[in-house]
Amino acid sequence: MTPPPSTDPPVPGMSPAPGTSPVPGSPLAGVPDGHGPVSSSPPQGRKPEAGGRSRVGGPVRGRWLRGGGSPDPGPSRAGRFGWVRRLGASGVGGVVIVAGMVVLAVVGPLVWGEAAGRIDAAAILQGASPEHPLGTDNLGRDLLARVLVAGRYSLLLALAATLVGAVAGVVLGTLPSVLPRRAARLVTATVNALVAFPGLLLAMFTAVVTGLGARGAVLGIGAAIAPGFARLTQTLAARVAGADYVAAARMLGVPRRRILTRHVLPNIAEPLILNLAQAFGGALLGLAGMSFLGLGVQPPQYDWGRLLFDGFPRIYVTPEVALGPAAAIALAGIGFNLLGDALARAAARTSATGAPAPAPAAAPPGEPDPGAVLEVRDLTVAFPGGLTPVREVSLSVAPGEIVGLVGESGSGKSLTAAAIGGLVPYPGTVTYGALRLGGRDVATLSDRELGTALAMVFQDPLAALNPALKVGGQLAEVAVVHEGASRAEARRRAVDRLGHVHLPEPERLAGRHPHELSGGMRQRAVIAMGLMGTPRLIVADEPTTALDVTVQRQILRLLREVVDETGAATLFISHDIAVVGELCDRVVVMYAGRVVEELPAGRLAGGAAHPYTKALIASLPDLDTDRERPLAGIPGAQPGPADVGPGCAFAPRCALATARCESDRPELAARGAGQRVACWEA
Amino acid sequence: MIIRNLSVRYGRFTAVDDVTLEIPDGRIVGLVGESGSGKSSLARAVCGLVPHTGTVEGARRTQMVFQDPYASLNPRMTVARTIAEGAGPGEVERLLGLVRLPAELAGRYPRELSGGQRQRVAIARALGGDPGLLVADEITSALDVSVQAAVLNLIRGLRDELGLTMLFISHNLAVVRYVADVVAVMHRGRLVEAGPAEQVVGEPAHEYTRALLAAVPRLRG
Ligand code: SF4
Repeated sequence: MTPPPSTDPPVPGMSPAPGTSPVPGSPLAGVPDGHGPVSSSPPQGRKPEAGGRSRVGGPVRGRWLRGGGSPDPGPSRAGRFGWVRRLGASGVGGVVIVAGMVVLAVVGPLVWGEAAGRIDAAAILQGASPEHPLGTDNLGRDLLARVLVAGRYSLLLALAATLVGAVAGVVLGTLPSVLPRRAARLVTATVNALVAFPGLLLAMFTAVVTGLGARGAVLGIGAAIAPGFARLTQTLAARVAGADYVAAARMLGVPRRRILTRHVLPNIAEPLILNLAQAFGGALLGLAGMSFLGLGVQPPQYDWGRLLFDGFPRIYVTPEVALGPAAAIALAGIGFNLLGDALARAAARTSATGAPAPAPAAAPPGEPDPGAVLEVRDLTVAFPGGLTPVREVSLSVAPGEIVGLVGESGSGKSLTAAAIGGLVPYPGTVTYGALRLGGRDVATLSDRELGTALAMVFQDPLAALNPALKVGGQLAEVAVVHEGASRAEARRRAVDRLGHVHLPEPERLAGRHPHELSGGMRQRAVIAMGLMGTPRLIVADEPTTALDVTVQRQILRLLREVVDETGAATLFISHDIAVVGELCDRVVVMYAGRVVEELPAGRLAGGAAHPYTKALIASLPDLDTDRERPLAGIPGAQPGPADVGPGCAFAPRCALATARCESDRPELAARGAGQRVACWEA
Repeated sequence: MIIRNLSVRYGRFTAVDDVTLEIPDGRIVGLVGESGSGKSSLARAVCGLVPHTGTVEGARRTQMVFQDPYASLNPRMTVARTIAEGAGPGEVERLLGLVRLPAELAGRYPRELSGGQRQRVAIARALGGDPGLLVADEITSALDVSVQAAVLNLIRGLRDELGLTMLFISHNLAVVRYVADVVAVMHRGRLVEAGPAEQVVGEPAHEYTRALLAAVPRLRG
């Protein structure tokens, strides 16, 4: 029946370029700076190299935790104080200050209004005293009371100015998308000119033109705020206007104005509103400045700026009369800015909440398998919030063997590859029973040993190549850094390897920059880079997914050739079971973080035993598929890493599922030579 | 419906070069090509989204379904509002039924749906515009294989039920062969071959079509 709602799990896919910034929306972006759920684990994973890019010959080392070494998860503070964690300390400070200001604005005039207005001829122009902590003014009125009372007026004026600026800005910013083209251009040009104009001058000019006093100051500050808002609105609106859903609405004949109100404005409202808090802080300071210059509030009315203006001449005699209002202005300005910043930060990240995942019990490492270059036993990758995208994965790869790791999005296949390369992004933790490269625990290998023994190839070859350096130089560097080869020798080898991966005219190509190469050529260059050392293990994560089929075919052929020649063990990760079946010797199928089947590639078409593997193969149309019959497909969707129950993860989508499948998880069990299946009914 | 002498130029670069292609009523024409072949530019030109020369004759209204189901729905609009935009509120339930989605989804927001469900909503929205021609641009390439199958089944079902005329664009020859009645192959902006699906796949006339066919990965055994 109905597939369950989106379970596209927030699996932190392996970032193709270690050291590049995290993708917004991934749990990476959800890591609050230093306020995250308490965990005693050291930052896991990536240590950016110079230039922020890693290269294939020398993957960036991460830290692995041996089984059992997983940190003791502390109790979660996320639940009750989630908002505190989200806002951060400065944000909380902002909230407290702003709340205090609002209270002051409401009660100030009621409580101190009378004291602020009481004229006392006997106490004119006094300094601080027990009765008047901030002194008195030229009519003997208490200045502390006046500062407290002035809060309401100051905040109201700032609010008015912000609203004037925001409304004017949003109107100016959206006009270009509804006006005819020529008028739109005029508006845009005007906004651009205004943005370049100093804000304070604009404010003063407007205030003088519209008349001295509170109204002029509000309009002035509003005018100063408006261009920034207009520019922001324009930029945001332009981005939304290019979205596919706007194109779809246009094709449906939705009128322009409706597109603006339905599609554009709602999708830019959030950043605009966030900007309001910051603009408010700015308006408050700006208005105080105007009053201080005598352009703003005129007596008998008074705001903080006016009090500062009145007290300023006396600052050498009785500084406290000026410091009181000055402190109020500064505090309010800081409070609103902190709040605005914190809100913007909180909005920019998706939250990763919940308790840290429990540490999985580790199996004893056992004796190394002498026949395997790569040996993985009970590899688990966990993220805070109870997310365990990879669960107790075991696999091994023999010399000269290509093992395909296949699964759909959310299966954990890429994260498995990342864990093997030590590239799991913070705050993920990797635990394992065994993770051996050439019989040795990876954690004991030096960077140099790992750099020459392991070559990684990613989906996006550009991420592995430094755009600023020539291809030949980048390859040569691998040999210089990892093997201490001389420049000339390294360069000779680089050209040789480029020729080796069948790049034409390797001598000339070595002098090119990555962007001058086509996608297929880049991927060849990355493979050549991996061949600069003597790789014992090649990990290739979707290396052909971004390429055209004809180019994919060539790269697959090249990979096979390289493996046959070097005898390197290769782990080939892909979502495409046909590609895997064609290239690989053995296939490991993952579902919801676990290996569900392992079998020789030749047996995929006829001998797959797990219902998921079978369904995956049946879903794939090929050139012989019967066009008269519907395709098989699998109802529903793969569960996210937080939604995996105790039983078989495939049970909700499985045609063979029984009651036992729901409650008990089947272990991988041998089934004939070279095949293992995790299924009760297979 | 016929696309006649259609060209798309971006500055000096010619993305689509004088393409003439007939799309018979009630049929699905599959358009394959690799990146840079001009197939997406052709799709956008047919929908009037990019400037072009040449004509598209006989198409009443054209609607399009896009590649990325995560970017093609307004995140602030419910399924019902999204679909009602072209069809009007009374039609939502019928359209959801057409794309085999339960009526309960009407009140949901796109973020609450899976990729396959979103793509169905996008198809329902396009159907609501009562299209004479539906253009589908790589609509399954962002989906998992197991989900793709269901969307392909749906597309074929809609053709049979509604007599939908469709231009189905994909880089995947096996997918195109499965859904389309006619297969057209584009290479570097030009149409190099077009014909009944089985014929183009079984007896390819153009060298490039043969290269494409040879590159399709197959399971052994
Ligand atoms: S264990 Fe049960 S639910 Fe899981 S795949 Fe086998 S039959 Fe299906």
